[in-house]
Amino acid sequence: MLFQKRTERIFIWVFFPLALMMPLFLEQNTFYVSKLTTIMIFAIFVMSLDYLVGRCGLITLGHAMFYGLGGYIFVMIAPEYDAVNFWIYTFYICAISALIALVIGFLVLRTSGIYMIMITLAFAQMTFYFFSDSIEFGGNDGVFIYVKPDTSLFGISMFDLDNPIHFYYLCLLSLFNTLFFFRLVTRSRFGRVIDAIHENPGRTTALGYNVFVFRLMAYVMASALGAYAGYLFTMQYGFVNPSMLSWQTSGSALVMSILGGLGTLYGAILGTVVYEGLHYVLEHMTEHWLLFMGALIILMVILFKNGIAGYLEKLLEKRS
Amino acid sequence: MNTHVILKTEGLCKYWGGLRALDDISLTFHDRQLHGVVGPNGAGKSTLLNLLCGHYKPTSGKIIHEGEPIDAIKPWAFARRGIGRSFQKTNIYPSATCLENCCIAAQRRMGGSFNFLRSRHHQTVLEELATNALEKVGLAKRRDQVAAHISYGEQRQLEIAMVLATSPCVLLLDEPMAGMGHEESLLIIDLLKRLKQEYCIVLVEHDMDAIFELSDQLTVMVDGQHLTTGSVEQVREDPRVREAYLGQGDEVY
Ligand SMILES: Nc1ncnc2c1ncn2[C@@H]1O[C@H](COP(=O)(O)OP(=O)(O)OP(=O)(O)O)[C@@H](O)[C@H]1O
Ligand SMILES: [Mg+2]
Repeated sequence: MLFQKRTERIFIWVFFPLALMMPLFLEQNTFYVSKLTTIMIFAIFVMSLDYLVGRCGLITLGHAMFYGLGGYIFVMIAPEYDAVNFWIYTFYICAISALIALVIGFLVLRTSGIYMIMITLAFAQMTFYFFSDSIEFGGNDGVFIYVKPDTSLFGISMFDLDNPIHFYYLCLLSLFNTLFFFRLVTRSRFGRVIDAIHENPGRTTALGYNVFVFRLMAYVMASALGAYAGYLFTMQYGFVNPSMLSWQTSGSALVMSILGGLGTLYGAILGTVVYEGLHYVLEHMTEHWLLFMGALIILMVILFKNGIAGYLEKLLEKRS
Repeated sequence: MNTHVILKTEGLCKYWGGLRALDDISLTFHDRQLHGVVGPNGAGKSTLLNLLCGHYKPTSGKIIHEGEPIDAIKPWAFARRGIGRSFQKTNIYPSATCLENCCIAAQRRMGGSFNFLRSRHHQTVLEELATNALEKVGLAKRRDQVAAHISYGEQRQLEIAMVLATSPCVLLLDEPMAGMGHEESLLIIDLLKRLKQEYCIVLVEHDMDAIFELSDQLTVMVDGQHLTTGSVEQVREDPRVREAYLGQGDEVY
């Protein structure tokens, strides 16, 4: 069984059918559908960060760099007034950001702990200022995308990206695929080595594994998926701007993955949904919502220990 | 007596700042022999093993494996050449089961670690290799228990099993019997007697009875210096050895 944990299977069986039906309930209200879409997209990003931080033990504060790059790479390589093919550009964007991650990872992964946090942050800030200062990329206003890609595959167009409901399903599918993909990876032989490195890198080196190369592979993979999330976000709103690259984006993603349960992957979805849900509710209740939000998050992290997923597992998992 | 030389050091030195943890050590380690290393605390025994397995880089001097100098290669490459080690301070994956601990060791040997898909077949082979290693050290009964929850002595056994699972040709063992009960020690002594017929073993150990019983060659080190190397009888009769131990204020073991 690919999804080993009972809690994760229950979560999948509850969350995805519910998410599939959501547009039926909200049909008249595309505002909520697109709000949910944004949450799905961000959950993909949070999951890719969760894999790095929670599974590989690589703490980065610069992951938003790839989120933003997903958008910027698109505007750099796509013609301005022609519709391009969504799937081909998905491949381009993942491949290019993987190459960038290979180079940056090569430098960043020589450090660890607090130094790695600083260096990843520095890289992200450099990219942030590069795009916010550039005239060509519209500075702080960013760049608009006039034509959305078309999604035909073998001549069949499955999703109309201008239709919010279609786009919602595309993002939901992407989210499920991301979870599925990461689960495959964590259960593979590669994933075993990554877990071993996370628990005891010194021992893993002594067994003959080149720890650096394994970490680099994981970093490249997570970065490419982070960029894919950024690409989807850009598709949804029709623009990129530097705020996607900001450290606040990395920071809130980190909070969501901790809230959901570090390293649990499906917890990233829980964390994002709860965080964004609270955000939405509190924002409408008080203008001091950030204060309450902070307090609530501190409370939940203390109460739940290993996040929401960790708490659910404690309730649902059979004790051995 | 003198079989094929697998591993050799030439003028090996390791300084920590001004401290000469290891000073000009030249030794040869033979196939299918157990080479004991003894010495008072701080003599540099662990440092020697740490250099031999690539954990530290030597300040100067050479390490030669099968005729090739290897002191410049990367730490992980030592294990790939078949130099496996256990640590003085227990070094395992505490949250994994004993089987999983050995599987990850065996997997390195088997390859396929860049495989992103699961494979039933590989898993079966891996578990076989791992179970084999656990059986060798007498830990088969703990196979599915989490390593953090077995006794300290058993964790030491597990560490040896992990090294064996990588199918090494040289075993560097740093005080494998420290902290073990009498029964467990006997088991390990018995195991080492069998293993030394197949592997080149370098054994650092404070238990003198064990080391006298097991060693084909015995080296005594004091303060980073090589004092003497020879057969057990030669070393026991060497007056300098008694002096070194007494002079340090250590009890004679
Ligand atoms: N990483 C290090 N940094 C600085 N000094 C070190 C380091 N490792 C070892 N030393 C020093 O080198 C000397 C030799 O240490 P080593 O651990 O090799 O001794 P040992 O013979 O294994 O002793 P023991 O019997 O206590 O295990 C000691 O004085 C120790 O303090
Ligand atoms: Mg020592």
